Amino acid sequence: MSRILDIKNLSIDFTAYGQTRRVLNDVSMYVDQGERVSLIGQSGSGKTVTMRSIIGTLPMPPGKVESGSINYDGQSLLDLNVQERNRLKGTGISIVLQDPMLSFNPVLTIQRQMDDIVRYSDIRLGRDRSKSDREAHLMDTLRKVRLEEGSRILDSYPMMLSGGMRQRVLIGMALLNRPKLLIADEPGTALDVTTQAEILALLNSLVAEEGLSLLLITHNLGVVREMADRVYVMERGQIVETGTRDEIFEKPEHDYTHKLMSAVPPLYGSKVKTMEYEGLKPTIEINHVSKDFETRGGWLNRVTGDFRAVNDVSLTIQQGDIFGIAGESGSGKTTMAKLILGLTKPTEGQILINKRPISEFAGTQEFRKLIQIVYQNPGSSLNPRRSISEQLEVPLKFTGHNKAQIKTRVGELLDLVDLPQDYASMYPHELSGGQKQRVAIARALSVNPKILVLDEPTSALDVLVQSTVIDLLHRLRGEFNLTYVFISHDLSLMRNFCNRVAVMLRGDVVEEGRVADIFEAPSHAYTRALLSAIPVISDEEAARKPKLKNEERDAVLVTSTALEV
Amino acid sequence: MSIFEDPDAPMRGLSSRQMASYRFRRNPLALIGAFIVFSVVFAAIFAPFLAPSPESAGAFVDFRNRHAPPSWDHPMGTDNVGRDVLSRVIFGYRVSLGLVVGVLGVAVPFGVLLGLVAGYFGGWTETIIMRFTDIMLALPPLAMALAITAVLSPNLINAMIAITLLWWTWHTRLIYRIVKGQMNEDYVEAARVAGASHTHILFRELLPNCFSAVAVKISLDAGFVILFGASLSFLGLGIQPPTPDLGTMVATGSEYMPEMWWQAVMPGFSILYAILGFNLLGDGLRDMMDVEL
Amino acid sequence: MFSYLFRRALTLLLVLLGLAILIFIIARIVPGDPARIALGPLATAEQVAEMRQEMGLDDSFLIQLWSYLSGLAQGDLGKSLLTSRPVMDDILGALPATFELVLFTIILQIVISIPLGVIAAIYRNTWVDNLLRIVSLIGVVTPGFVLAIILQLVAAYYLGFLPVTGRLEGGIDFSADITGLLLIDGTLKGRFDVVLDAMRHLILPASALAAAGIGQVMRITRTAMIEVSSRDFVEASRAYGIPERVVTFRYMLRVASVAPLTILGLEFASLIGNAFIVEFVFSWPGIASYGVRTILQKDLNAVIGVVLVSGVFFVVANLTIDMLLGLLDPRHRLRAERDS
Repeated sequence: MSRILDIKNLSIDFTAYGQTRRVLNDVSMYVDQGERVSLIGQSGSGKTVTMRSIIGTLPMPPGKVESGSINYDGQSLLDLNVQERNRLKGTGISIVLQDPMLSFNPVLTIQRQMDDIVRYSDIRLGRDRSKSDREAHLMDTLRKVRLEEGSRILDSYPMMLSGGMRQRVLIGMALLNRPKLLIADEPGTALDVTTQAEILALLNSLVAEEGLSLLLITHNLGVVREMADRVYVMERGQIVETGTRDEIFEKPEHDYTHKLMSAVPPLYGSKVKTMEYEGLKPTIEINHVSKDFETRGGWLNRVTGDFRAVNDVSLTIQQGDIFGIAGESGSGKTTMAKLILGLTKPTEGQILINKRPISEFAGTQEFRKLIQIVYQNPGSSLNPRRSISEQLEVPLKFTGHNKAQIKTRVGELLDLVDLPQDYASMYPHELSGGQKQRVAIARALSVNPKILVLDEPTSALDVLVQSTVIDLLHRLRGEFNLTYVFISHDLSLMRNFCNRVAVMLRGDVVEEGRVADIFEAPSHAYTRALLSAIPVISDEEAARKPKLKNEERDAVLVTSTALEV
Repeated sequence: MSIFEDPDAPMRGLSSRQMASYRFRRNPLALIGAFIVFSVVFAAIFAPFLAPSPESAGAFVDFRNRHAPPSWDHPMGTDNVGRDVLSRVIFGYRVSLGLVVGVLGVAVPFGVLLGLVAGYFGGWTETIIMRFTDIMLALPPLAMALAITAVLSPNLINAMIAITLLWWTWHTRLIYRIVKGQMNEDYVEAARVAGASHTHILFRELLPNCFSAVAVKISLDAGFVILFGASLSFLGLGIQPPTPDLGTMVATGSEYMPEMWWQAVMPGFSILYAILGFNLLGDGLRDMMDVEL
Repeated sequence: MFSYLFRRALTLLLVLLGLAILIFIIARIVPGDPARIALGPLATAEQVAEMRQEMGLDDSFLIQLWSYLSGLAQGDLGKSLLTSRPVMDDILGALPATFELVLFTIILQIVISIPLGVIAAIYRNTWVDNLLRIVSLIGVVTPGFVLAIILQLVAAYYLGFLPVTGRLEGGIDFSADITGLLLIDGTLKGRFDVVLDAMRHLILPASALAAAGIGQVMRITRTAMIEVSSRDFVEASRAYGIPERVVTFRYMLRVASVAPLTILGLEFASLIGNAFIVEFVFSWPGIASYGVRTILQKDLNAVIGVVLVSGVFFVVANLTIDMLLGLLDPRHRLRAERDS
């Protein structure tokens, strides 16, 4: 069993704005042949830096290797010059980057990009293959990643493929030159959880079939559990713990590992916190609501058709509920949010808030004081050029508060979300992701609404930060008797946070009810498919997930091997 | 996203202003540009005190001294009627900067406003404004300016009007693009949900994000307005003598080339100097602000 | 692809129409009586009245607009107020000269600035980059007329082998009757002495004209290349072992060239404007010189003709660039199809 990758005591510094930071500190790790090793860390942990230093794409002027070594198959990588490093690329070590869309050159066909990889490595190795031989190899490789319609894919441009397909093609590209080590950076993170499950399964089978070694870099513990033989845990540039998969999951030693494990919301088992609340007064009533969007096209931008985003949905949200609307992309959940907020009008049906139709009072001050929204991405929901206090003031300015009232209120709001008062004059880029999201929550609460719509409020945050934000939301709800409409794709989170859940698929609500009922005994095939795809962190949970037969799965899911458009 | 950008760790201890000034200080060309611009503006404001021979800026003749080459008395020589070229250049800067202020003072607010409105309201407003802008952009600016000043009488004000009429289009286009990009961001919708009025969103939310681009453009534009004005007067259609204008000076001076080269070359280089300054400053500002969030 | 171009062409045609109407309106609201201007200050009242009749100045606005537009559609730009010849003829006569100059200039710009921009990006922050930066800066900040004069000075008086004015040496007997372009017609007819001489005459004015554009496009190419180089797919292609040369040209440049080409299209209007100066200084017999002359003489119809033709130039240039972009970047094609 040879050691494919061996990193010893690697330390890397990074200099910016005249300040030097140590981004990697004395990192040591290894990968043996045929092993699956996982490197887990949150953002800022240094995992991406590690990956890039292995492949050699770390920009060395701002970065500098202070000490340590990286050995591939016995050879020291850091000592090699550019040409020698290049020879290893693709044949020795290959990578699959995080975002499938960004990894492709948008202006070249898939064929051209894949052929380039093969052709140039042939030149380097002194092989001489004809174009058709190479094409056969490309089609073979595509078949390995379960893509049968090889020629159609080769002729396409990257934007014409679905997300899942792009990810598969990317994996195929990484395999073209038969690498020994495959490094995967957060594979499938940009995809739906069901598609991600397929991709992860694919990677596992490839490791077995091709004799690959796998280094998987991720922030998701559930993925680690399914994909790793051994694990390294990274925090702030250091390896804090390592062990076999079972060791780490059953007997975590380091504090940080403990924290990570407990921050992941459990899907099943004794640690699940079920919200047992039962609301009694209906506050939002959605009655047979449908929403169509016009599709435009053609020369004069004419309306060419209708797209039904929401189809005959009826839901009742009680006062005090934490009502979850779950679904993947394209399910219609975001449209539901906009409908409830009155930002768009239903094509059919009606929505009542406290027995009054929205159409009557949407857009008025009264409405705004009743219901507000918190967005997913604090990076884009806060205006980068306006200070925190300026942004907190906006809802207040337009609900009839005067200057003095506004000033006091801003101070109160910062307290409410546990932010220090001097943050008021700062700008968003000076705050961390979690802090920005608190500001977004404060902004929503500024006018004392009774209902908060939360659109994936923690999806952009690390799991540790996520739990602090969720705790804050719990507290605020208790203090102010709020009702939450919680829109997300993260079912584990919803299991522990919501009291009722509605599952949406392509505009329909396929299942709805109390959270314990839905999760313990899901009736609709889609719900079961969703649940079974979630990577969980304990064997107990894995055993309790629903199991689906392939026919059931195909009935509700569009697999990522089907060609789009 | 750069690999070293950690979304959760802010730049500790560095405010945005500190980061920006750090970049500016490290950029020597930007500093040179700033210095040049400062010197030009200073000269223009204090012209009567700086010019060795202020009367040269007017209807003054000294035939004994005509065509004098550069010397200590006349660092840039004298022209065909004996006026001190350096003084005329300094006063010429006054005219040029006056042109800049006049043109940009009108074109920029107008153009920015149109761009904001077109990008924000969309629909027919957008279509009408942008199609109109497209048409105006297709007109060759120099030709149009020439035509306008020829048909009206050639003087400073008319030149200003002619240039302004065409200049706003670039700003509209720029702002339109920026605003369109912003409309997809959540914070615009968040403002709407918060009940913000159109005025608020336009001027308090969208406009601040345009500032850096506009600042860069104004700095670069200043140089080009000077260039434009000088080109107009070079062809004889801008400011008329005896008001000192750099373009006219190059035109009359070129008749005496190459023997009395300073009469054309000195004003020519003075124009270049000013444009260079604004350009370097603009570039520096652009480098500084583009990297900033 | 063709339907996309067709639609673009139609849009631009509408722009032209709007342009024509706009110019018409401007011409009509300008103070002063065109007839009087044409006849000069010594004309009698009857002569002016007669001229007004002839020019149709007493007709209603809409009738004037209609006759103007229909005339345009037939290629009739009216008669020059001074020479009484059809403006169209004058313009067509002068057009090839300007067209050749502008074409040569653009080719010069593309061929020089894009490769230099790429080099500046590859060797960024080294002395090569700084040198190129200075060069591009000089191009951008030197006023066209200053550069033109300096070039004339240097070439004519100090170097002596490049001509200062005109398109062709007076003594050469040659008529460019195929395309109007000396370089092409000369080659087609086998007259390489003509080609050589025409080139000698072209170099200086084209350099003066190209300078500013070269500077700008070089900078933008550099910026675009640097921006693209930080994108994921570039890193991915390097990681797959694709040689650096290929990465630079096939992966980065193709994506990065969108920005400079677009700027070239927009700058075209300025190019035409600068041509006025350059043609003036070098006595180049093109429409820009014609334009300057007629403007100074206040020959209204001719001025309108010149401005219109310039607008057409601009529209055609942008259409060509759009086509090029469509070829290079499939997203541009698809986006345009979806939008328009």
